Formats: sequence, structure tokens, C-alpha cells
Amino acid sequence: MIKRLYDIVLQFREYALLAILLALSIALLAFNDTRQLRSIRSTTVSTVGFLQDVFNVIPNYLRLSHENQVLRDLNVSLSDEVSRLREAKLENLRLRGMLELKEKGAFRYRGATVVGKTLQMMRNTITLDAGDNDGVRINMPLVTEQGLVGKILFCSPTYSVGQILFNKDIRVSAKVQRSRVDGIIRWDGGRTLAMYNVAKTLDVRPGDAVITSDYSSIFPPGIRIGTVAEAREVTGSLFQTIAIEPSVDFATLEEAFIVLVAPDSNRVVLDRRVRDYAGPQ
Amino acid sequence: MRRTLADIALSVLVLLVHTVLGKFLVVGEISPDLPLIWVVYLAIRRGQIAGTIAGFLFGLVLDALGASEGMIGLAALSKTLAGFIAGYFYNENKTLQTLGGYQFIVILAIASAVHNLCYFLIFLQGTTMSLGTVAFRYGLPTTLYTTAVGLIPMFGFSRSSQVHG
Repeated sequence: MIKRLYDIVLQFREYALLAILLALSIALLAFNDTRQLRSIRSTTVSTVGFLQDVFNVIPNYLRLSHENQVLRDLNVSLSDEVSRLREAKLENLRLRGMLELKEKGAFRYRGATVVGKTLQMMRNTITLDAGDNDGVRINMPLVTEQGLVGKILFCSPTYSVGQILFNKDIRVSAKVQRSRVDGIIRWDGGRTLAMYNVAKTLDVRPGDAVITSDYSSIFPPGIRIGTVAEAREVTGSLFQTIAIEPSVDFATLEEAFIVLVAPDSNRVVLDRRVRDYAGPQ
Repeated sequence: MRRTLADIALSVLVLLVHTVLGKFLVVGEISPDLPLIWVVYLAIRRGQIAGTIAGFLFGLVLDALGASEGMIGLAALSKTLAGFIAGYFYNENKTLQTLGGYQFIVILAIASAVHNLCYFLIFLQGTTMSLGTVAFRYGLPTTLYTTAVGLIPMFGFSRSSQVHG
């Protein structure tokens, strides 16, 4: 093999010598740093760059498979990261809203995460990761930055269960914010709440905001409940049928504030005495 | 061996003449390339390998003497090429006829043209001169001048070959 190589070199010795001497000359030239050589280097780099650009058009099939695999991995990783960032952004928005509520509100609040939820039954509830130990008591109102959620139904030392507006047992004294018309909010099933005890003659229009009224001994006044979706008269009845679209989206509810306000005991006692006096109707 | 020593001695002499007396031969910006004539002579007389090596060594010495204005290796590169090309025309049995005939001038012209093209193309890089300007302002005149000076040894060899029959 070496002999054959030697024979080839010997056969083309003139060319081999020329190549060696030219290489030596060019190497010597390369050690210089003159204007001319800088210009040549610049031209060479441009030419090589241009040629690389031209040849880059030709795909390297051997590398494509590996490149695809790398890109797929990167895609999965980036998708995961985007998903987590999106989640963080939404959480951030929610928490900002809640923080704003906490700062503006006149009451003390205890934030809690919804760790359990039912929405398909007639007595729907949510479970929160705050309980007696956190100062939570039965009947304390539950709110978010969007509005009223419900009230606390049961308490354990570390957890509590809230009765939400989509629960057939809940009643909330409410009023139409624009016209100050009072009524009682309750849920009869379906996707909206209903406002009762509103006479036909009273001014209620779709789009009106509905808030908690001053008549409740549980819910502080002025908390948004929802918006009037429909108000219609029923033939043969003295009252209107009013549908309320709740302002809280219970399907996506993830955090809530417990309003750390105990009902006024004097008022509760008085209300009870009045009810006892009136007796069953 | 004696022949080689004689060639080396003559090479030194040519270099001395070129460096000391070369300035008296300058016309405008153009001067004849005496070492190149000597390299072409060596290539025709001793063969392609000798011509190539002589070109490289002459070029290297001229570079060291500052002929390429700091571009060490430029004269070596162009004279190596010229020596190699001139060596193509080496014919062991007809060296004197080639040296004493028009062939010498043709070979010298070709070698000089290649040499000057290579030399000036690199030497004038970074200037705004076009290839045409380089060729017509420096390459061609230097080639013609060198070839014209090459007529002197050609006539010398012509007479020498006639004397020796």
C-alpha cells in the first residue's frame, strides 16, 4: 500500500513538488497581515459563505431523520412549557383579580382553593382547603372577584364545604341595582338563577345588574350576583319571571374568598322572633 | 555536482545584479524580472523539478529582500508557478536549441505572463483597480519588458550553439 503510494508520488513528483511549494508559499502568505491579504480573506469568506448558502438548498437526507427527532422532542418540550406558562398566566390573572377584591373590600377575607366540586346535582357544593383553624365558620359568605359564590355549609378543622348558588336550598336577598327592586334569588335547576317576589309593575330589564340587598343577615350588601337575562310576565300571575345569569362561572371556579364576617347576633335573634311571631303561613 | 555549484554561484550573481543594478533598468513603473529569466533558463536547462525549486527559492529570497513589500511568500508563489510552467518545455536533447531559438522567448513570455498575473492579482488586492487595469498597466508591460530583456541571453545561446556546431 505504502509502496504503491510511493510509486504514485514518484510518478507525479513534479506535481507533488509543485503542490508542496505552492502550499508553503500560501502558508507564508497567510502569516502576513497586509491590506491585500485582508481583502483576499474577506473575499474568500464571502465566496465560501455564498457557496455554503447555495449548497444548503440541497437537503442532507442522512441528517434529516435525526433533525426531525430533535425537533419533535423540542416541540413536545416547548408545548409543555407553553401550556404551563399559559396556566401560570391565567392563575396570575385570577389572583390579581382576587387581590384587587381583597384590597378594595371592607371585610377580612380568607383565600381558599377549591379542592372539590359538584355541579350536576340539585344540591351542588364546593370543598375548600380552609376550615375552622383558619377562622372559617358556617354561613360565612363565599365570593370571588366576579361576584357571589354561596355560603359555608359545613366546617372541619382544615376543610369546609360551601353551598353554591346552583343549590336548590340556597336563598339570597337581592335587588336590581338600577331600579332598586327587591327579590329573592334561588335556583330551580337549569343554567340560570331565578329572582322571585318581583311584582309585574316593577321595573326590571334584561341587562340589569343584580346585587345582594341589605335585608340579608348572612350576605353583606352590594355583592354582585349576576345580570338579568330575561324578565317576562306570566299570564294569571301577579309576579314576573326573572332569569338571572350568575356572574361567577362555577364550571371554571378554582379559588374563592371566604368573607370572615359573622352574622349580627342581635339581628339574627330579632329575625327569629319575628318569624316565630308570624308563625307558619 | 560542479554543475550544481556553478548554477548556485550564477544564481547568486543574478540576484546581486537584480538588486544592485535593477534600478537602472526601470522604465516608468516597470522593471524587467531578471530572476525570472534565470528561473526559466534553469527550467529549460535542468528540468521541471529544478525550475520549480529554483522559482520557489528565488522568490523566497526576493520576498526576504522586500520585493513584495511585506507580503512574504508572494514572489515565491508566483515564481514557483513560472518555474513549473517553463519546465514543461524541458527537452533533454534540445536544451541549447530551445535556449538559442524563439522557443525561449515564447516560453519566457508565457511564464512571465502567468507569473505577473498571479503576482499583481494578489499584490493589487484591496485597491479599486479592475482586472483589465492590472493586466494592461502592470502585467503586460512587465511581461513584454522581461521578454525583451530575455532576447539578450537568447542571442547569446544562439551564437554559442552555432559556435559549438
